[in-house]
Amino acid sequence: MPGDQVVRVALREVSKRFGGVVALSDVTFDLRAGEVHALVGENGAGKSTLMKVLAGIHQPDGGSLSIDGVETRLATPHAAVAAGIALIPQELELFEELSVVENLFVGARRPRTRSGLFDWGKMRARAREVFEALGVDTDVRRPVGALSAANQQLVEIGRALLRNAEVLIMDEPTAALTDREADRLFTVVADLRSRGVGIVYISHRLREIFALADRITVLRDGATVDTRPVGELDEAELVRLMVGRSMQELFTRSSHQAGGTLLEVEELSMAGRFEDVSFSVRAGEILGVSGLIGAGRSEVFKAVCGIEPSQSGEIRIAGAAVTPRTPAQAQALGLAYVPEERRSEGLILKMSIADNVTLSRLRTFSTWGLVKRSDQRTAAGAMTERLTVRGARLDAPVGRLSGGNQQKVVLAKALLGEPRVIVLDEPTRGVDVGAKSEIYRIVDELVRAGNAIVLVSSEMAEVLAMSDRVMVMHEGRVAGLFSRAEATPERLAAAASGAQHAGEAPAHRPRQTEVGE
Amino acid sequence: MTTPVKAPVKSTKRGPGVPVQQEHWARRAVGRRETVLLGLLIVECIVLGQLSEFFLTVDNLLDTSRFFVEAGLIALGMTLVIITRGIDLSVGSLLALVSVTIGFSYQAGLPFALAVLLGFVVGGLGGLVNGLLIARLGLSALAVTLGTMALFRGVAFAVSDAGAVSSFPSSFDYVGQFYVGGQVPGQLLVFVVVAILVAVMLGRSWFGRWIYAVGHNELAARFAGLPVTRTKAMVYVITGLLVALAALIYTSRVSTARGNAGMGLELSVIAAVVLGGTDIRGGTGTIAGTILGVLILAMLQNGLTVAGVPTAWSLVAVGAVLIVGVYINETIRHD
Amino acid sequence: MSVAIPARPSSPAERLRRFATRPEAPSLVFLLAAVAVFSITVDGFLDVDNLQGTLSQVAIIGIVALAVNQVILGGEIDVSTGSMLATCAFLAGLVAERTSGLLAALAVALGVGAVLGAINGLLITRLRLPSIIATLGLLYVLRGTLLAEGGDTVANTPSGARVLGTGEILGIDVAVFLLIAVFGVFELLHRHSLWGREMLAVGGNAEAARIAGLRVDWIRFRGFLLVGVCVGLAAVVYVGQIGQVQATAATGFELQPIAAAVVGGTSIAGGRGSNLAPIVGAVLIGVILNVLTLLSVTGTYADLVMGALILVAISTDVLRRRLVGGSA
Repeated sequence: MPGDQVVRVALREVSKRFGGVVALSDVTFDLRAGEVHALVGENGAGKSTLMKVLAGIHQPDGGSLSIDGVETRLATPHAAVAAGIALIPQELELFEELSVVENLFVGARRPRTRSGLFDWGKMRARAREVFEALGVDTDVRRPVGALSAANQQLVEIGRALLRNAEVLIMDEPTAALTDREADRLFTVVADLRSRGVGIVYISHRLREIFALADRITVLRDGATVDTRPVGELDEAELVRLMVGRSMQELFTRSSHQAGGTLLEVEELSMAGRFEDVSFSVRAGEILGVSGLIGAGRSEVFKAVCGIEPSQSGEIRIAGAAVTPRTPAQAQALGLAYVPEERRSEGLILKMSIADNVTLSRLRTFSTWGLVKRSDQRTAAGAMTERLTVRGARLDAPVGRLSGGNQQKVVLAKALLGEPRVIVLDEPTRGVDVGAKSEIYRIVDELVRAGNAIVLVSSEMAEVLAMSDRVMVMHEGRVAGLFSRAEATPERLAAAASGAQHAGEAPAHRPRQTEVGE
Repeated sequence: MTTPVKAPVKSTKRGPGVPVQQEHWARRAVGRRETVLLGLLIVECIVLGQLSEFFLTVDNLLDTSRFFVEAGLIALGMTLVIITRGIDLSVGSLLALVSVTIGFSYQAGLPFALAVLLGFVVGGLGGLVNGLLIARLGLSALAVTLGTMALFRGVAFAVSDAGAVSSFPSSFDYVGQFYVGGQVPGQLLVFVVVAILVAVMLGRSWFGRWIYAVGHNELAARFAGLPVTRTKAMVYVITGLLVALAALIYTSRVSTARGNAGMGLELSVIAAVVLGGTDIRGGTGTIAGTILGVLILAMLQNGLTVAGVPTAWSLVAVGAVLIVGVYINETIRHD
Repeated sequence: MSVAIPARPSSPAERLRRFATRPEAPSLVFLLAAVAVFSITVDGFLDVDNLQGTLSQVAIIGIVALAVNQVILGGEIDVSTGSMLATCAFLAGLVAERTSGLLAALAVALGVGAVLGAINGLLITRLRLPSIIATLGLLYVLRGTLLAEGGDTVANTPSGARVLGTGEILGIDVAVFLLIAVFGVFELLHRHSLWGREMLAVGGNAEAARIAGLRVDWIRFRGFLLVGVCVGLAAVVYVGQIGQVQATAATGFELQPIAAAVVGGTSIAGGRGSNLAPIVGAVLIGVILNVLTLLSVTGTYADLVMGALILVAISTDVLRRRLVGGSA
């Protein structure tokens, strides 16, 4: 029984600050041998930071860490590995050009032959052993870069096992996996648990957590909210603990008057990414797009918005066929894409807020080639006021702002061009609750003004609360198209996992302009 | 959950949201890298002035400019290249190629003005070759320009057949050897004008913003709709044209066009640019800084020569200044 | 349980595929093809003396290129080898003049080389200078010092000390044996020493290497130190071959080992390459230059050919990746 197991690691009243920002305050967390302990919380709640402390990547400012009852300090990641703690990060850190064997052994003791040379045969044999234990048959000489994401993840786990890890921290492990691959992973996790390995499982996918975990700890705003055995919780309660208030208070939603069809996509395909995708969005309407990561959602909209053009299919804006092959062309057509990764795709952190907001349209603020700063500031200022961006002057580098404010800047940039169709890709990821609320308010305003909004999101609650219709994608195809009334968490989840569904017929035929509902 | 940075006492209400304290302009000026470099330049000139009384004369200082203008012009382009996370090792060879093109096409009978035009075309094309290979094919700038460095040099030798052209129309000498008002070397004025143009372009124009954006975060620049490939390629073409201008001035100054011109030039240009505060990893850099870097190195070389120090030691000095200067820059960067 | 990739590594098709993805494969194939073609079409190419001469000339570049290759694999670069070679050769030459023997000269060359390499290493790991800046600075400082102090002095090496450059064993130049020996040492390091494996990891993903507990700074330092030692060895061969060393020796040499590595298939971005790459690259460059000489094509075309080779080599690597993908 999990309750009887010995405590492997314990974090007591751990605090951590980064500059002026408090990431963790007095967090307590412990992990027992042979248990799967889920760690949940909104983006920005502190889960990653806490696990980085456990993995020796960050040093806590306060509090203590004990391993097997002994208070320890893990000064480096290496110390953590030596103590038997292994972190499987969401972004895998492998050596793509090196073989699987090599990746397994980097930093580990290598067996040598009598003459002092490395015993490559033994290394390969050990590698195969490790993978057999994971239930996988693989050519260990292949370069890791040639493996699928799922197999790369197994290499990471293999590294941990090779070093006799007793504690495994898995950060969003199924984010990049297909269902079959995820199932395989669950079998591996269950097997490890039965062998006494303690596993910290960080995930947003509540279904998985309820299926796998023995205990659940909820973090919110850098502090522990509660730790409970899984049997004592249900999804609604969990969400309430995570968010801290009733879900509904967060969202702003006025009634929408849907107008004419602004964007239509027909049989859009890109080999290896998505196939035969068709949908439409009307003015004054929010189309939610849900599905598991890897389902192809971002790829579809990157194609529509000219960032990675599709190979076949048709795109129509207000009835006219178009082919946006670059982002600039798409913007000229009235399409705007707010990317998923605001730090690497959406912003230039070292440039000023004003520069970032006006980045796509610098030429319109220029005369004789020179940017008119006053015009730039006026426009940027107006936009940042309207979106309530707080935290720094227009001239300050945008990297100084908090996540939520940064997201608003990315939004400001997209809105500056007065687009009619706006695609928001995970707009509230890593954003604090206050800013989330503000972003929902902004989205609602945009919709009321007659724009067509596409909301790509992995947060079920968000999609359900905000959307007029929901499109679910699964492994590159449209798995379901639901009206607001039809969209329930169960149906969306089922479609996202590839089960059969009932819902409205996929809309490839353009809808006629209708009187609002 | 992140607490916005609150402003202390003195605040001015400008811009959105929470006001942040204005930094006193003098304090900001002192902390800036260009100020540090200017200080370095002044100190250096004082020290060199001690070594030789001839050094700090107007005559001498103006005379120095005759030599550094060529490297200086190229350094302007190199700044742009390095900001975009690139590098260009082929500039010295391209200089030779343009020089040889002008000289030998003139010798072959082309009217002089056309020969010069051809030189510029060659310079631009050379830059374009670099630009396409690096921006379009995505090849490493170091590797590509290593190749074009040898390639351009080879073509220069082939065209000149290891010979040289020394007979130019007398009007040509004028370009590299004329003085304005009897005192100021003409090429210095050319340099000042071009430097101002490039500085304004980089610091104030939308193209300049694009260059910085691409250097800081190419991916985000692409998402924002900036034509990243074109921007990166253009930067090499601009450098090629600046090299052509430098080649013109150089050929006129020495009145000779030969294939081994500009050997080793690329390294001293890069040294000047990096000394001036441009980070070799891309994203930051200013023309003002580059000019200071060029001046520091040029003054150093001249000052030592004038003081009778054998030229070999000025090589040592350049190397030492490079190391110390970049070390200081890196330290400032991390504060 | 799903099967990932079938594990039958020894099938001929699999072997061929693995060969095709090796970094030096295209240039090796190209080299063999070139040699085959030249043997038939160019008179005197297959002459034993000619082949020998080509390989000896290549030896100096090759020895240095093997070490520089490792530095590039680690994600760094070293452009100071020209001045380092000149300094070591000059000093070795002077010592040989005085002592008329090989050993003292060799010891001096290796020692000086090691010190210079260590200086590079310290500038980069301690002062945190980007490697191109540090090695560029050293290039200047060394050359300047050498020119200033050495002036017009010419070191005349007595024949006793020139054996590494001019000696023969079983009719083959000592230099060639040295090259093979150094290659052997590097292969050993590359495959069987922690340092060699870790260098690859650092060049591939320095952050992951750090997290995996590798001492990245020390690994890089050793790379530069090794370059210095190899330069010292090459310097004694150089002194042997040339006989008279001046302060202006080896000007511009620094780019040749880099070109050899790149042409041979090592990626300048780091993390990808092998020891065969710089050898193949150096030999390829040497062969083509040799053929140009045999065809009485003037030396002015040497640069052009080298430039074209480099550009072709890096372009094909990109193309090859798109076609075959992956690496070994």
